[in-house]
Amino acid sequence: MDFVCNFPFFSILLTLFSGTICSMLPRRAAKWVNTGVILAAGGMSLALLIWMLSGGECFVYRMGHFPAPWGNEIRAGILEAAMALFFCLIMLLSMWGGRKKLDEEVEESKHNLYYVLVNLLLSSLLALVYTNDLFTAYVFVEINTIAACGLIMIRQIGRTLAAAVRYMIMSLVGSGLLLIGLCMLYDLTGHLLMSNIREQVEVIMAEGTYAIPLVITVALMVVGLAIKSALFPFHAWLPDAYGYSTISSAAILSSLASKGYIFLLIKIIYRVIGFTVFNNTHIINVLFVFGLMAMVFGSLSAIKESGIRRMIAFSSVAQVGYIYMGIGLGTKVGMVASVYHIFAHAAGKALLFIAVIGLTDVSGFSRRFIDQTGAGFRNKIAGIGFTVGSLSMVGVPVFAGFVSKILFAQAAVNNSRKLLPTMIVLAVSTILNAIYFMKTVIRIYTPAPDCGFEGVALRKEKLYALSILLFIALNIALGMSSQPVVDAISTGLDMFG
Amino acid sequence: MNGAVWILASIGVPVVMGLVLLCVPSIRKRSAVVGITAAGLIMTAVSVFAAVGSGAGSVTLWYLAKGVPVYFQIDSVGQLFASMVTLVWLCGGAFAFSYMKHEENEKWYYGCYLLVYGIVNGLDFSGNIVTFYMFYELMTILSFPLVLHSRSREAIMAGLRYLFYSFCGAYLVLFGIYFLYRYGTTLTFTADGVLDPQLTAGRESFLLFVAFLMILGFGVKAGMFPLHGWLPVAHPVAPAPASAVLSGIIVKSGVLGMLRVVYYLFGTAFLRGSWVQYVWLSLALFTVFMGSMLAYRERVLKKRLAYSTVSQISYILFGLAVMNQTAFTGSMLHVVCHACIKSGLFLVAGAVIVQTGKTRVEELTGIGKEMPVLLWCYTICSLALIGIPPTGGFLSKWYLAMGALEGNALPVFGWLGPVVLLVSALLTAGYLLPVTIRGFFPGQGFDYGNLQKREPGVAMLLPILILTSVSVFAGMFPSALVRFLGGMLW
Amino acid sequence: MEPVMMFVVVLLPVFAGVLVFLLPFRKRVHRLVFLEGMVTLTSVLAIWLLLDHPGDKLAIVKFTGDLTLSFRIDGMSMVFGGMAAVLWPLATLYAFEYMEHEQREKSFFLFYTLTYGVTLGIAFAEDMMTMYFFYELLTLVTVPLVMHTLSREAILASRKYLYYSLGGAAFGFLGLIFIIVYGSPDFVMGGSLNLAKIGGRTNLLLLIYVLAFLGFGVKAAVCPFNSWLPAAGVAPTPVTALLHAVAVVKAGAFAIIRLTYYCFGVEFLRGTWAQGVVMSVALVTILYGSGRAVKETHLKRRLAYSTISNLSYILFGVTIMTPLGLAGALTHMLCHAVMKICSFFCAGAVICKTGRTFIYELDGIGRKMPVVMGIFTVASLALMGTPGLCGFVSKWHLAQAAVDSADPLAFAGVGVLLVSALLTAVYMLTVAVRAWFPPAGFCDKSLAGITDPGICMLLPVCLFVGAMVLLGVYSMPLTDFLQRVSQGIY
Repeated sequence: MDFVCNFPFFSILLTLFSGTICSMLPRRAAKWVNTGVILAAGGMSLALLIWMLSGGECFVYRMGHFPAPWGNEIRAGILEAAMALFFCLIMLLSMWGGRKKLDEEVEESKHNLYYVLVNLLLSSLLALVYTNDLFTAYVFVEINTIAACGLIMIRQIGRTLAAAVRYMIMSLVGSGLLLIGLCMLYDLTGHLLMSNIREQVEVIMAEGTYAIPLVITVALMVVGLAIKSALFPFHAWLPDAYGYSTISSAAILSSLASKGYIFLLIKIIYRVIGFTVFNNTHIINVLFVFGLMAMVFGSLSAIKESGIRRMIAFSSVAQVGYIYMGIGLGTKVGMVASVYHIFAHAAGKALLFIAVIGLTDVSGFSRRFIDQTGAGFRNKIAGIGFTVGSLSMVGVPVFAGFVSKILFAQAAVNNSRKLLPTMIVLAVSTILNAIYFMKTVIRIYTPAPDCGFEGVALRKEKLYALSILLFIALNIALGMSSQPVVDAISTGLDMFG
Repeated sequence: MNGAVWILASIGVPVVMGLVLLCVPSIRKRSAVVGITAAGLIMTAVSVFAAVGSGAGSVTLWYLAKGVPVYFQIDSVGQLFASMVTLVWLCGGAFAFSYMKHEENEKWYYGCYLLVYGIVNGLDFSGNIVTFYMFYELMTILSFPLVLHSRSREAIMAGLRYLFYSFCGAYLVLFGIYFLYRYGTTLTFTADGVLDPQLTAGRESFLLFVAFLMILGFGVKAGMFPLHGWLPVAHPVAPAPASAVLSGIIVKSGVLGMLRVVYYLFGTAFLRGSWVQYVWLSLALFTVFMGSMLAYRERVLKKRLAYSTVSQISYILFGLAVMNQTAFTGSMLHVVCHACIKSGLFLVAGAVIVQTGKTRVEELTGIGKEMPVLLWCYTICSLALIGIPPTGGFLSKWYLAMGALEGNALPVFGWLGPVVLLVSALLTAGYLLPVTIRGFFPGQGFDYGNLQKREPGVAMLLPILILTSVSVFAGMFPSALVRFLGGMLW
Repeated sequence: MEPVMMFVVVLLPVFAGVLVFLLPFRKRVHRLVFLEGMVTLTSVLAIWLLLDHPGDKLAIVKFTGDLTLSFRIDGMSMVFGGMAAVLWPLATLYAFEYMEHEQREKSFFLFYTLTYGVTLGIAFAEDMMTMYFFYELLTLVTVPLVMHTLSREAILASRKYLYYSLGGAAFGFLGLIFIIVYGSPDFVMGGSLNLAKIGGRTNLLLLIYVLAFLGFGVKAAVCPFNSWLPAAGVAPTPVTALLHAVAVVKAGAFAIIRLTYYCFGVEFLRGTWAQGVVMSVALVTILYGSGRAVKETHLKRRLAYSTISNLSYILFGVTIMTPLGLAGALTHMLCHAVMKICSFFCAGAVICKTGRTFIYELDGIGRKMPVVMGIFTVASLALMGTPGLCGFVSKWHLAQAAVDSADPLAFAGVGVLLVSALLTAVYMLTVAVRAWFPPAGFCDKSLAGITDPGICMLLPVCLFVGAMVLLGVYSMPLTDFLQRVSQGIY
């Protein structure tokens, strides 16, 4: 076993402990530790990914002393490594981009706490990515929820508290369902390790006696995760949570936290239940329909919205819909598209959130759409960032969103029953996306000579500018040379078994 | 080859002179303008007669598209029309030199007058339908400034109406051309038609429809019902010499178009006995009657003459639609006679306007006492138009009626046609002669004291006299003409 | 020449635009000379490339799967790219003089030149993917041009433009996907569909074709997705003229040609209900555009509606789905480019010199700006399809293709073409008539000091008018070439 195989474990542990450490360090140090830890975790994921790509096999890493079926395991393949790397990357850039805002918005005494929460969130995400044990997954789901609540609440204004409470309730409903599903699964199969459950599931399905309870169990888990990842119509908690928290939180939550759950769901589909078994249930059609509805209604809500950040938050609902639609297609290509869209959406949405804060800051801190008039001239880099993010979301070539759109469409063509609805909704939702994003882009480039707001010099916001530029680069890279990523996803999914 | 050069000269010379007149700003003096115009007219006339005299000749200039050359040739129809045009154009031009003194923008007028002359020559000598169409459109566009010369609101509206009606007709024709190109062997005018029986097999009914559209399209220029609406509006608002050529010549281009389409492209064999022929006949007859009625009710002299044109042109169309030699001869005779007569009448009306400023018929009481020569010319022309022997009008109507009756070939129309022609002749008398009667016999209560000698000068009278005498002599010594006309196609 | 030059030619204007934006030129004229030099250089290289057409592929980027960004020059590229390469330097020249009275010239020229590169990218695109890529980019780089004045109206227009274009592309995207799955993304004359793969899904594919047609048709302004085009007329005239009469909208038509002839293939589509639908759409648009143009009183918007109508002439030719139809469509694409850019430039010159934008304000302007209005009149005649000018040639070929296809709907289409030609006469000539023939008593004091514009504006329009006449009288080499292109020989 190569040394590199320890990296998943190391990175989870590192982030978990650094969280604890951060609470004791001075503020400045905590900041650096946080950055360092994210970098380290990212570096380890990268090393792992490189090792995998250069011929390494996926592997199972036993935690502690006990072998399966009692012990706890970590599993890593290309997809896990890539996902972990990507989460770290987005996390890092989001932190950089929101750093200044964080300093302004959040009381100094809470900064340490913030970094603690971020580290915890990262560790839970990494654990969700790597774990091979359903119960461990559940534990980290809860950690994730708690950390996310903290991230929302850290900026203490009334709206965030309400949002956090709402988030908490919805999330707990979700994890509750997940937990029930988990217990029933344990009852049915007698295992908690994914690979073992899978074997039993196949037996059960073959026998047929407990097939229906099994399907219900699966449904419970899927619904639980769907609520947590804000699939329409369970998205009520989302707009406020993303719309009012401090900007790093919004970026991280929208592009990472919910994606962690989705990744977990994909893992469950592949590794716990089995792709074919899952495809034969009707759950997949439900996911498909809700995905389509999310694509349309999320965008419609975004069009109606008058606050710019809530608008972007609603756009997340639509984008999550894309992902579920891809899963719902029930083909491997659809799944590849969904996973790719996790990347593409994370890169685009985080960029949008980071860019928006630059725009609202030069518009008298107003979130109202109308006040953003001319903001693109006042904060140039934010304007460009927002434009790029929007174009990516709309799915204009060059940017990441376009590739995922192609992948979705290509996936849909192979499914004759779901083809037409997918295609039409894809086109309609593109138009809807275009409407609200382009409306905003034009708004921020409409001159407002007498608004009285000051512009901001690029020199003063180097870190912010850097993060935006890196995000743009990421979007373009994903858009222009997507082939390696798609290949990696595809192999990774194959490795899932 | 010689003929070809003359054709090009007859088109090119007036066009170039006209363009010079319009585009060179330094020509300002009236004498210079008139001089250039006169020179242009005469040179063109010489070229036209040379071309007509050379008897044969053709020239291909270039290809608009594959198989679509700009091609000219001299044939008997072209000879007839070109000679007639030249006669009227010279008279109208000569008249205009004195008439246009009291109008503005003379340069515009003369420039366009020359241009249209060249274009009409091109039209007459066109050897295929696309060339014909090209000149037909150009004629519309270039004669447009003649119509709205006075720039009054009425004139502008009339001009636009003229323009759009004409285009409407032209596009109907173009529609047909597109199909002829596909279903014919060539677009060159060929006696007996160009339709390719192999290609047309099974599509006859559609091609009949196409033929009907083309007839309808050319019917616009010829003032045939239902697209005659522009004519009574546009002709009167133009200056009198322009009205003369419009009514005498430009409307004949529609006739020429129909002739070319029916006799040279589709061929009479294809159309004879079809619904197209009957509809065409009915439209022509209806127009004859309607035009006369409208003219009868009209009070303004020039408008009355315009309505009369509507009616008279349809005599010609009737003759064409009958499709036999006699009627055809009658038609062609009427083309010539009507051109001379109607131009003459319009010139008279113009002279009256210049001398007295009067336009309405009831105002013209007693003008015979003031300008007897003019009114005599008017009277003779009117008689010719009504068709009183020995004038040309009589002869043409005679042939028309004979043609219609010939061989009992036509059901209903054989007798209906002559009847309508006769009724219309009565109406013609009814709307033309009152002017003469009141002019010479103003009746009781007329104030003879106010009479002055108002006879127009020789420059104005001469063209009128020439036109009048041609219309009379055509009827008195017709044999050569009739033989020529009768031999044009048979 | 090396194939890599294709990429260079696409990038060159991009660099030129960025340089013009960034470099600190001391005098305006320096910047302009630099820009004109760069644009001309690009054009020269582009034309050289096109004539030399290497025919081999140049792959640049691999997107995903077998989707690449790659260039290859075929016959269609020669037509579209050649059109852009000829027009762009002239339009840039025109823009120099025009932009004198506009703000923010630098950013204008930045995007104006960027658009050139993107347009060439569309022309050179080797497969559907690449074309789609540049097609979307075209939307993005032209939005700032529509927004240029930053007035409220411009903002609204650009928003509308974006919505329509991106929305349309979303449906075009469907076509792209299906082509990738059921055929190959590469353009193959005759279509790349794999018939075995389609199986029983013919109707589905036809549906997708119709959707994609409408999607790409948004840029080509088909009914009912065309309201963006008149709205986008708020942009400076060089933009309206070059982009919204030529480059952008023709990119839509070009995309449809690629979709129809090179992806789905006419064999697959001809005679299906899909052909009926798309042809009907084109025909309705022709009438709708012309009708709205007649009602419109704003000069540039009227021309924009005219563009809508004329673009669908092209689409009509495309939907005939025969090589002849494609040849007709391409002919009209080129001819319309020249005619419409010319009339827009004339309109722009009038706006620039007088500030008047509505047609009823143009009384008598022909006397003050004789050259501009003269050229405008010629362009109007060409648009109507007067023989001797290029509009006739293109309509001739379109109509011939329609007649040749023997499809009843195409026959109706010929009629629609002609109705639209009549409407064209109405909406174009009323402008010319106002300009040349102001009503009597018109006082030209209000026009004091207005003259023809300078050489930068006049030179392009004069060249265009020359091209119109040249194409009108001698079009055979061009149409022969286009016919070979449409048979896939290049």
